[in-house]
Amino acid sequence: MGSFDGLIILQKGASILKNVLSHNKKSRKLNAVWPYLLLLPALLFVLFVVAYPIFVAFRLSFMDYDLTKLYKSQFIGFDNYASILFGSSSKRFFNSLMRTMEWVFFGVGGQFLFGFCLALLLNQYFKGRGIVRSLSLIPWVTPGVLIALMWSWIFDGNFGVFNDLLLRAGIINEKIAFLANKQTAMPSVVTTIVWQGIPFFALMILAGLQNISHDLYEAADIDGASAWKKLIYITIPSLRNTIFVTTMLRIIWVTNSVDVIFNMTNGGPANATRTLSVYIYQEASKLNMGYASAMAIVLSLLLMVVTIPYVKNSFSGLEK
Amino acid sequence: MKRFLNVLLALVMVISIIPIATNAEGSTLTYWFWADNDKYAATMREMIADFNATNSRGTVIVGEQIPWDGGAYSNTLLQAAIGGGGPDVATFKLTATPSFVNNGLLENLDPFIENWDKKDEINENMYNVMRNASGTDSVYVMPWNVQVLYVYYRPSMYKEAGIEVPKTYEEFLDACEKLTRDTDGDGVTDVYGFGMRGSNGGQEPWGCFIHANGGSFETLDSEESIQGMQDYIDLFTNGYAPPTAPNDGFSQVIDGFQSGITSMTIHHTGSSAQMIEQFGEDVDAFIFPAGKGQWTSMGDTENVMFSSCKDKEAAFEWLAYLAAGKGQETWCTVTGNVPVAASVQKLDHFQDNRFMKVSIEGQSVAGILPIRETTTSWISEWPAITQQALLGETTAKECMEELQALLWE
Repeated sequence: MGSFDGLIILQKGASILKNVLSHNKKSRKLNAVWPYLLLLPALLFVLFVVAYPIFVAFRLSFMDYDLTKLYKSQFIGFDNYASILFGSSSKRFFNSLMRTMEWVFFGVGGQFLFGFCLALLLNQYFKGRGIVRSLSLIPWVTPGVLIALMWSWIFDGNFGVFNDLLLRAGIINEKIAFLANKQTAMPSVVTTIVWQGIPFFALMILAGLQNISHDLYEAADIDGASAWKKLIYITIPSLRNTIFVTTMLRIIWVTNSVDVIFNMTNGGPANATRTLSVYIYQEASKLNMGYASAMAIVLSLLLMVVTIPYVKNSFSGLEK
Repeated sequence: MKRFLNVLLALVMVISIIPIATNAEGSTLTYWFWADNDKYAATMREMIADFNATNSRGTVIVGEQIPWDGGAYSNTLLQAAIGGGGPDVATFKLTATPSFVNNGLLENLDPFIENWDKKDEINENMYNVMRNASGTDSVYVMPWNVQVLYVYYRPSMYKEAGIEVPKTYEEFLDACEKLTRDTDGDGVTDVYGFGMRGSNGGQEPWGCFIHANGGSFETLDSEESIQGMQDYIDLFTNGYAPPTAPNDGFSQVIDGFQSGITSMTIHHTGSSAQMIEQFGEDVDAFIFPAGKGQWTSMGDTENVMFSSCKDKEAAFEWLAYLAAGKGQETWCTVTGNVPVAASVQKLDHFQDNRFMKVSIEGQSVAGILPIRETTTSWISEWPAITQQALLGETTAKECMEELQALLWE
């Protein structure tokens, strides 16, 4: 018996069982929980893949758990959290928090700005628009590590093409070590993440733009509204939910992003680009799992504060 | 009758292949290794294939190349071993020994070495270094090859600058200054005296400066060590090292030297083959000169057997092949690393190689980082702490006090 035959039998069996059960008085209750039973496998999967690791991280955060000294592992209560927030390591934590805020503000802000402009452009008809739309996805589909390596070479202080262009244009007289200079390292990695994230904003906003009724624009034309007024009073308000959701998602993803910074600067020079996610990764790389887990929990709590409006917005949308 | 003969024939055929089948069944062991470049990786795969074809037990070694990643290899290996997904045998760095031994992950090699017919190929001192690293009287780490750090330089650049190869630490610092030049007269430095490695792995060349001032890894916060750090900072702030130095790793310092951006840089025989290919006779080396003290890093690469290994005798045969068999000669010939086996050291190829000679000369002052539980973590933190000092965020004193506390906590 092949697997396809087995599937058909299973389907028929489930259908028969459901019919039998639905005609039975007692089974009306069972019928009520039937949807939840069907959801159970997916729920178990989520519990195993998502909830269990979170639980383990939570448990480790209360332990002195260093893989290089596993025999010394012990429960230490809130000591890790105290060290992060008030102890000798707190300065590093809050420095990383500041770097994270810069990283997210300028990174997501830049992605939105350029993504919005690109979406407006791609919403216009022009010859080759389909090809341009496809090509504009390249930054999004390219692996983060590859992007980081590529931009590392672009910004390289000795061989980078960016230095070469600036020198030829007469903007600078000598090469700049973009990734080794504290003032330029963060703008360099932000440029990279902006480049990577533009297509996502562009795609989401483009989809939103195409759902805006043309009648609104026609009515505005009749009233003599300028392009700027149409943008401010029609386009942006119509895209409000799309922008909100997309921005929230990108804030979460960019905050948790490690690959670009790790491969370009490893959080340097002198921790100038060490965001919280990179810091957590570095601590975990040193196999100090207890401390790294505590920092990860703190970061998660901070992110939850940011995402509360998103969750509220999602639920209010469902109720409507 | 015909049927009987057919059955008999079938029986004979089955019985006859059983011994072959049994002999052909050796163990399959996984071996993790890192390689500095594709050529070395290819060489390792050839060695594995050779061993698989010639070993006495029909053992099959399955090699997996894992990135060195500035030392993160050791952490990757530790995590895999603790998690139960590690290899049977692996290349290894001595500084990671305490973490592995304290967690009971490595197999004690004493019984195997005791019964090994080539035991005396390796100097007893080398075995003692392995014992000291574990903090026990046993050998858990099998010697393989060493790399002694030296200073690459370009004789043509020295000639242009009108200086001789430095014999003292002070002359070396002076050479860094004199070799930093604006070669095309546009007012911008084109060639830097020293290719500084400020990123991962830079702690080994950096150690030369500390010891040259009379400091040591045991007293990183002493005046002498702090002065060594100050000299290191001054090289960067005075512009004798490229502005990219704080972020430069292995490939950047080698690329910088090979492209002529730097006049000197510190590495070992592992890169000598590509240097000779690039520069021919216009590249040479000297051991980091003496000041109040002298030290250079003895990079080590060993092999280990994990206690979870399924077939330990087979695994040791592989380790022996690498340490004193054909694998020793092949690997050290291709990579330029210094062999640990006495018979291989005596081969003409090693005696006639100028970089090998410098390495062998440097062995008398070569050492390793203190082997402590904190060493791996210290190595991970070193770049960020020294970058802060290079960029003026902290002083040399603050930097060294932090490094001292981290290593000796």
